Amino acid sequence: MDLLFQFLSNTGYYLADYRNVIMIVVGSVFLYLGTAKKYEPLLLVPIGFGILVGNIPFFKGFGLGIYENNSVLHYLYFGVTTGLYPSIVFLGLGAMTDFSSLLARPSLMLLGAAAQMGIFFTLLGALALGFLPKEAASIAIIGGADGPTSIFLTAKLAPHLIGPIAIAAYSYMALIPVIQPPIMRLLTSRKERLIRMPELRDVSKKERIIFPAVAVILCCFLAPASIPLLGTFFFGNFLKECGVADRLAQTARTSIIDTATILLGLTVGASTQGDVFLTPKSVAIFALGAVAFSIATASGVIFAKIMNLFLKEKINPLLGAAGVSAVPGSAREVHLVGQSEDPENFLLMHAMACNSSGVIGSAICAGILWSFMIVL
Amino acid sequence: MYDQKKGCFAYTLIILKAGGYQLYGFTAISTHNGWAMAIAGALIVFAGLLVLSAAISQLHKILMLLEKKDSDSKSNQKFPEDDEPEDQKDKPVSPLPKEFPTDLDEIACIYKPLIDEIGETFYLSDLYEIARKNDFPHPHITFTAFRESEILVPCGDGVFSWNPPTENEDNDNG
Repeated sequence: MDLLFQFLSNTGYYLADYRNVIMIVVGSVFLYLGTAKKYEPLLLVPIGFGILVGNIPFFKGFGLGIYENNSVLHYLYFGVTTGLYPSIVFLGLGAMTDFSSLLARPSLMLLGAAAQMGIFFTLLGALALGFLPKEAASIAIIGGADGPTSIFLTAKLAPHLIGPIAIAAYSYMALIPVIQPPIMRLLTSRKERLIRMPELRDVSKKERIIFPAVAVILCCFLAPASIPLLGTFFFGNFLKECGVADRLAQTARTSIIDTATILLGLTVGASTQGDVFLTPKSVAIFALGAVAFSIATASGVIFAKIMNLFLKEKINPLLGAAGVSAVPGSAREVHLVGQSEDPENFLLMHAMACNSSGVIGSAICAGILWSFMIVL
Repeated sequence: MYDQKKGCFAYTLIILKAGGYQLYGFTAISTHNGWAMAIAGALIVFAGLLVLSAAISQLHKILMLLEKKDSDSKSNQKFPEDDEPEDQKDKPVSPLPKEFPTDLDEIACIYKPLIDEIGETFYLSDLYEIARKNDFPHPHITFTAFRESEILVPCGDGVFSWNPPTENEDNDNG
């Protein structure tokens, strides 16, 4: 009988805490959004399931939890804490990205830079709310709307915040269709939304091959701390474009990125154990994340309007919203908002140019912030 | 000159921090050098992407220049096969008559040297290309007429064979 009671006292039902229950509900919501609503399913499904796995109460000291040495989850989590998975994800992203539209219209790259202002505004906001500089920098990078970049920087600067920051970053990426359109409509007039973009010129194969090599040199010389992200990103793109390593490019954009995404999502989800995750800091991180994302969207749109003051051939300011690096969600949203005003206005390719420059911009920002924190 | 007031302030902040007191608002931003980090960070990322966009905006021009230079140097080089005089090289496969005939059989005779050039079976696009190169008038219309009169016979997969008018007649009789 004692054995039975002892066993029962070790079960999850007995050890359950209200925080675990809350997080299991959150995980279920993620799974619902990913599967039923199809909001970023490739991210939300592994994270949602990871939240369920990570919040099953267990007897401490068994080597089961993600924060316990020698547990399987702990070993898998190693890829997150070292920044390994984000680098691998960037390799796959590079092998998927087509920079043709960006090469055809390089001036759109500035919108990718403008949308990074959300990061620096949030840095100030997080400092003002009492976060330490390294924590503030990790929170600020949510404004880049790039999950792997956020995880990478947080792993380097404030590993104790990986859970809330990753969840906040991915949540807002999934909520792009909810967050961005109202801001875009608020900051633009109907006349501006109707602006049509000219057809892009054809980009030669040579240009596409040379671009990753030139970009990795220029960007990484400026912010060497972004080498783990941009190095693999442009390497993946070079594999895709060079035409002699198709097999490697194919593997990078399929098996490799899929494996990294599964392990990244599952372990980040599992790292959100109720007792670690449900703190006032997490609430503040979520609030700041929303602010960061909104400011990033707004600053991209406003900068596009400023550019229009000087350009002969006006650009559609909606494109500024695609400067955040949520690929391809924000580009798709810009295209849809443009089409809601004029069904024959095709902004997708131009928006993808801003989007891909946003990926580069947010990775540079991560490198810059990391460098700043090394000095501190 | 050492600003005593500023020095005292910074010293107080360090003591507060060491004592576990948290800083908030503008004080926290100033203490942690937040303003400088935000402005410098924004400027660096802007400068970086500006340089990159400037570089890639010139990329296609540089490539065009290099390609032009390359083609110029190639045309200046003398290869044995280039010894052929320029007028000989561009000489059409079949000299066109001054007045192009209207009779299909006669047109087919004029097309014969082109067919000998491209082989027994060929893609229509190849025939079209060589006809254009030789300035044959209205190749599209001619091909349609050839097909209707079974001078051009489809062999499947876009490949055609040539069935000269005399053989055509034989077939009909046979």
